[in-house]
Amino acid sequence: MKGNGRIIEYALSTLARRKFKNFSIAVVFSALIAVLSSILFLTHAYKTETLKLLDNSPEIILQNMSGGRHELIPTEYIKTLSGIAGVGQITPRYWGYYYDSLTSANYTLMAVDENMRDIQLIDGRMPQTDTECAVGRGVADLRQAGLKDDFFLITGAELSVNLKIVGIFTANSAILTNDLVVMTKDSLIKFFNMPADKATDITVEVNNPAEVSMVARKIRRAFPNSRPILKNELIRTYDNIFNWRGGIVLTMFFGAIAAFMIFVWDKATGINAQERREIGILKAIGWETADVLTLKFWEGAVVATGSFLTGLILAYVHVFYFNAQFLAPVLKGWSVLFPRFQPMPYIDIYQIFVLFFLTVVPYVAASVVPSWKAAISDPDAVMR
Amino acid sequence: MSKKSLICALLLLAISVTAYAAEPHKPSPSDKCAVCGMLVGPHSKWLAQIIFKDGTVAFFDGPKDMFKFYCDIPKYNPNKTQADIEDIYVTEYYTAKPVKAQTALYVVGSDVMGPMGKEFVPVTPDKANNFMVDHKGQKTFKFDEIKAADLQSGETGMSHAVHKH
Repeated sequence: MKGNGRIIEYALSTLARRKFKNFSIAVVFSALIAVLSSILFLTHAYKTETLKLLDNSPEIILQNMSGGRHELIPTEYIKTLSGIAGVGQITPRYWGYYYDSLTSANYTLMAVDENMRDIQLIDGRMPQTDTECAVGRGVADLRQAGLKDDFFLITGAELSVNLKIVGIFTANSAILTNDLVVMTKDSLIKFFNMPADKATDITVEVNNPAEVSMVARKIRRAFPNSRPILKNELIRTYDNIFNWRGGIVLTMFFGAIAAFMIFVWDKATGINAQERREIGILKAIGWETADVLTLKFWEGAVVATGSFLTGLILAYVHVFYFNAQFLAPVLKGWSVLFPRFQPMPYIDIYQIFVLFFLTVVPYVAASVVPSWKAAISDPDAVMR
Repeated sequence: MSKKSLICALLLLAISVTAYAAEPHKPSPSDKCAVCGMLVGPHSKWLAQIIFKDGTVAFFDGPKDMFKFYCDIPKYNPNKTQADIEDIYVTEYYTAKPVKAQTALYVVGSDVMGPMGKEFVPVTPDKANNFMVDHKGQKTFKFDEIKAADLQSGETGMSHAVHKH
């Protein structure tokens, strides 16, 4: 048995002798890993981000329905809701969407409320009077506005509303607060022209998670026209959406994966006469089958692991430094209008292992097996 | 002693006495149920605890195990008796907050399962009827009505299977 270090040294020099073949395999291999892990990274980052966001969301969001569409909800429902056993805090929420033609972007306008727990002010404070507002960082960047700047909104009646920006905030999660504009309840009601006794929806906290479905059932019985949205339903839906989108993208690349498989198979298994001869010579000068296999193993491992790591790094840079420019439009969906959304680098080690075992291991196996066939035959026959 | 200092002393005494009334404790992640040995951290909505006069606490992963302990303290902790108990807390079902065990009613036979299967579900008396209807409860007990025999009977299910072999 030769020293393993010597064998690796020899493997590297063998690789260097066939520069073109190995280099082209490495390029294709890295590109494929980069694409696959970009998808995995991005899907995982979005999912984690959304789940983090839902962490603080109330157990039940109650919407009013009319004709199968979401409608404003009467605030008098609160009295009945508070009578249900197990219900904690009940809060009416006032919000709506606003399309800003100036920047061609959608904003979410929301009334300020004491338990906006996940909002962190970077600068300034929350709005206190009807002429003030606070904006998410995305909006501030888009409008190129800072503290104390004016913020124009056009109402449906072609009247403009002029608010002063008194705060700029960010949040644990960038997805939803990026496009958020927070103002006082009164100015929001006036802006959207909402009736005084109605809210957009009502959030209901339930103290004991075991009781959520019972509370939801009672709400449905009390208000047949309402739709209670449960937190775990939301989590499941988001999870499905991202899995589905990730799946679609993966399917698109299925052709690429298949092509790679054929390529790898061809390059790695197609042992040519020269390689056979080489194995024969090694055996003739006293190498054992085990040594030849170790050599081939290292050749495969160096190429595959090297390309795998290169691909991972490329994907990481693509997703977390360049905001996944190539993939984001497909996966994100709703906030395409927003130029800046920096996904947090959440990485699932499990996914990386799966990817490793699906690509590196088959490659190494594919390069060892044919050499094994050559190595167990008689050196004399192989060389001839 | 002047009148003023006497008042001060009395005030101080009053403050220290109120401060001494045992508050419910928060279990650490490694705290285990004193009866069944399960970690209590993941079951915070069922947590029960007995606080002794010397400041030590026994945690339980549900009222059922707390009663098992309470009815037969020497079996689990030979150094303690019922007389050493300062306060008992259980987690009320609807508020998910600790309440004094003596103030709650305990519903058995309901469809609500605790970490150890069927449970004596603690609810405040005004919500007891509501709970009985919603979750098909069969019987309510007051704190001092629960005896060792109730814990072993089929009413609470798992006790036979788990503790008789």
